[in-house]
Amino acid sequence: MTTDTADQTPSTPAFTAAAFRRGLIAGFPFLLAYGVPAVLLGIAYKGVEFGLFASVLFSLLVYSSTAQAVTLGLWTLPPPIAALILACVATNARYLVMGANLQQSFGRFSKWLMLPLLFFMSDASWMLTTADVKTNRPDAGYFFGLSLPGWIGWSAGTGIGYLLPLTPTPTIIAATAVLPLAFIAVLLPAQWRGKRSVLPWALSAAAGLAAAPFLGAGWAMIAGGSVGTLYSMVRGDHD
Amino acid sequence: MTDWHIIAAVCCVGLVAYALRTGGYLTAGLLPADSQAQRFLRLAPANLFVAFVAASCFAGGITNVVGALVALVTMLVTKRQWAGLIMGFVAAALVAILRG
Repeated sequence: MTTDTADQTPSTPAFTAAAFRRGLIAGFPFLLAYGVPAVLLGIAYKGVEFGLFASVLFSLLVYSSTAQAVTLGLWTLPPPIAALILACVATNARYLVMGANLQQSFGRFSKWLMLPLLFFMSDASWMLTTADVKTNRPDAGYFFGLSLPGWIGWSAGTGIGYLLPLTPTPTIIAATAVLPLAFIAVLLPAQWRGKRSVLPWALSAAAGLAAAPFLGAGWAMIAGGSVGTLYSMVRGDHD
Repeated sequence: MTDWHIIAAVCCVGLVAYALRTGGYLTAGLLPADSQAQRFLRLAPANLFVAFVAASCFAGGITNVVGALVALVTMLVTKRQWAGLIMGFVAAALVAILRG
């Protein structure tokens, strides 16, 4: 683990052990919050002839409830790799924007250390990190500490779910489908900026709803969010 | 069908997921610091999440709407993300059971 130096300016990104611990504590609830739904996912994987190893590997490598839920629905034997990749791109396109946003805070951090850390990026760790850098110096240790419990919980939960003597039911599948939505919904209050948020959010929601029947939730997010953001830019918002 | 086909497919999807996580970061590093694109990226996050919630509620119907609302209200009341997540999941599961 690298550490910062004393002469760094407040805006200089760093990777400190203290911030890693702070992130680990803040992210600890996600061990359970990601682990429990992953148990459901593990049960669902039994229905598509995944072995235990492949199920856990899927969660370890992909680590995305949206992509895994969608690709689960597409899974057949032999695996339709092109369709799975397309579904992964469609559902995870938001990571492009999230990664680009992080670059603004961590752009001066060594990319050879930052790129491996991005492997662990989740919706929750990204959103909490973007909120943290508004009040603290950008610290990749906080981002990593925040990301780790969710990844461990997600991967371990998948394995536990697979090993449980339960079979997937429509109820389990419906509960699994709500996971990415709930993850994001609980993080929204931290982004609220009072009256300034009302119109951009209303426009984003309206455009997202209008696009959803044609584009699906992943791309509707990009389309809707772009409409609200463009309005903010035209209005003269800067942050 | 050998397990290797499944492992290969999983690895392909994992590679794409990682490319998406790093692609935006690397691309943004090439943009001028004071560009409109950078300004867009600063303003975009909350709007993207609002649009995702709206679109997902539409796509998932009443189960998703109830799950998201319960998660959000629980978060606002308790200020605890884990509590919001758990209550959201439980509410969604109950709706799914009631709807058969």
